[in-house]
Amino acid sequence: MSDDKGAKASKKRPNIDPDFVRELAGLLEETGLTEIEVEETGTRVRVARQGVPIAPPVSAPPPAQSEPTDLQAPASGTVVTSPMVGTVFLGPSPGAPPFVKQGDSINDGQTIVIVEAMKTMNQVPTTASGRVVEIFVRDGQPIEFGEPLMRID
Amino acid sequence: MFEKVLIANRGEIALRINRACKEMGIATVAIHSTADSDAMHVRLADESVCIGPPQAAQSYLNIPAIVSACEITGADAIHPGYGFLSENAHFIEILDEHQIKFIGPKAEHIRLMGDKIAAKKAVKSLGIPTVPGSDGAVETDEEATRLAKEMGYPVLVKASAGGGGRGMKLARAQDELSIALATARSEALAAFGDDAVYLEKYLEQPRHVEIQIIADGFGKVLHLGERDCSLQRRHQKVWEEAPSPALNVAAREKIGKTVTDALAKLGYLGVGTVEFLYEDGEFYFIEMNTRLQVEHPVTELITGLDLVREQIRIAAGSPLDFEQDDVTIAGHAIECRINAENPFTFQPSPGLITDFHAPGGLGVRMDSAAYSGYRIPPYYDSLVGKLIVHGKSRNECLMRLRRALDELVVGGIETTIPLFQELISQPDIIDGDYNIHWLENYLAKRESDPR
Repeated sequence: MSDDKGAKASKKRPNIDPDFVRELAGLLEETGLTEIEVEETGTRVRVARQGVPIAPPVSAPPPAQSEPTDLQAPASGTVVTSPMVGTVFLGPSPGAPPFVKQGDSINDGQTIVIVEAMKTMNQVPTTASGRVVEIFVRDGQPIEFGEPLMRID
Repeated sequence: MFEKVLIANRGEIALRINRACKEMGIATVAIHSTADSDAMHVRLADESVCIGPPQAAQSYLNIPAIVSACEITGADAIHPGYGFLSENAHFIEILDEHQIKFIGPKAEHIRLMGDKIAAKKAVKSLGIPTVPGSDGAVETDEEATRLAKEMGYPVLVKASAGGGGRGMKLARAQDELSIALATARSEALAAFGDDAVYLEKYLEQPRHVEIQIIADGFGKVLHLGERDCSLQRRHQKVWEEAPSPALNVAAREKIGKTVTDALAKLGYLGVGTVEFLYEDGEFYFIEMNTRLQVEHPVTELITGLDLVREQIRIAAGSPLDFEQDDVTIAGHAIECRINAENPFTFQPSPGLITDFHAPGGLGVRMDSAAYSGYRIPPYYDSLVGKLIVHGKSRNECLMRLRRALDELVVGGIETTIPLFQELISQPDIIDGDYNIHWLENYLAKRESDPR
């Protein structure tokens, strides 16, 4: 570097090597970095890309509450299953309103269906309190031991 | 003929029944506990109904659940297999009330033969030879002592409600009789709910020889020869063969006729097995099993008959379409019960069967519901499967059995295959010279003197 003590002595001009800066710029391109900063005694050089937003990577949106499928995490609540084999009825007699409807709030022990077996009507109580989220069975369908009746949450 | 049969059983026999139904064009319903959801017969049946949790009392013995399963599937008949509800007269009566046909004998005969004292009285009056003993239950120790002295020791104290080898106590001499009576009574009360006991003379070295009979609803009763089931451990059959090495044609025909005449008089229906102890050329009735038996395949292989098919036909009201003269015994058959147990300690070994390969080829039959990846549940019996072989002679049969045992693979659990591989090399077995104590003596000797 030339030592220009005369007319330039009044301006504090840093000792920047343009080749060095070009080298850094090249490195930026090559590596795909957004910014490089180098510091030596008394001199700091920073080169940065133009127009690249520096923001944290966008994360996947949180999973929305959706109907359960085999591939997704199990939905919440309790699935009440049938304790016996027979025919399930949703109401106390033909034509009568059902014991519970989707959306109803129910308490533990409340009758939710009847399972008919060998001509006897067996009241089946819910094993959980909460809201009737989903009813899996149709009125009058055959049902086996352990078959899901309703989801209560 | 039935449209749809519900199979009220599990494991290999459920598969056996499914096979017979399918060959007859009958639709099948498999009922199962939650522990048997992956069972082979459940996969192969046309429909399946889960009827309860693993415990037998709440599933395979759960009459309401089984009847209910019939109702929702529209099954018109039930085959009970063996064990479970197969000899439950009450079950048959409930099925009657629901117009569901039971593929098996009449409730009255099941009840009769389930009471060992009544059974013995009944068959004796029908001309079947019985073991000398008390004429009915013994009420007092004095009565027992007097009878035992007359018969001669040793004597067996047997529970009337027992059977299948259970509920028996031995008294070798008079001083052992009181204890035998007392323990037999208390055990019988606990196990069967009935402490009635009777006495029988103890036979020292008998063979167990049983006669297979089949009867239609038109009065025809035929016998299908005998099976020798002398090789037993703790009264559980392990190896069965037909014909018996101890019988000749004359002996077979004579006992066959005695049995069929008796059961014709009784008006029996369906298949059944009359079990005898056989010693010094004499037959002694011990009990009758009013159902299909585990070892029925050996009879099927020597006669060429499908016993499950015949059961279904008889229950549907068809007559037997053959006569006694048409029944021919051809060749020899041996069955080995392969259990999930240590072959010499008999410690149970349930668990995952990692590899399963059934032997095949001429004259080889494997009745098993196992498969690679099948997990044997711990709630039921330990039978993995039955290996049954047939040959033109007993020797050919033994050679074939040796080959088949070497080919059979059941990996991942312990099985009794090594026991059978040892047995087929024993001179007594090769000669067919054994009795009901032989196997336990062999195992005891082996334990005290391992080679």
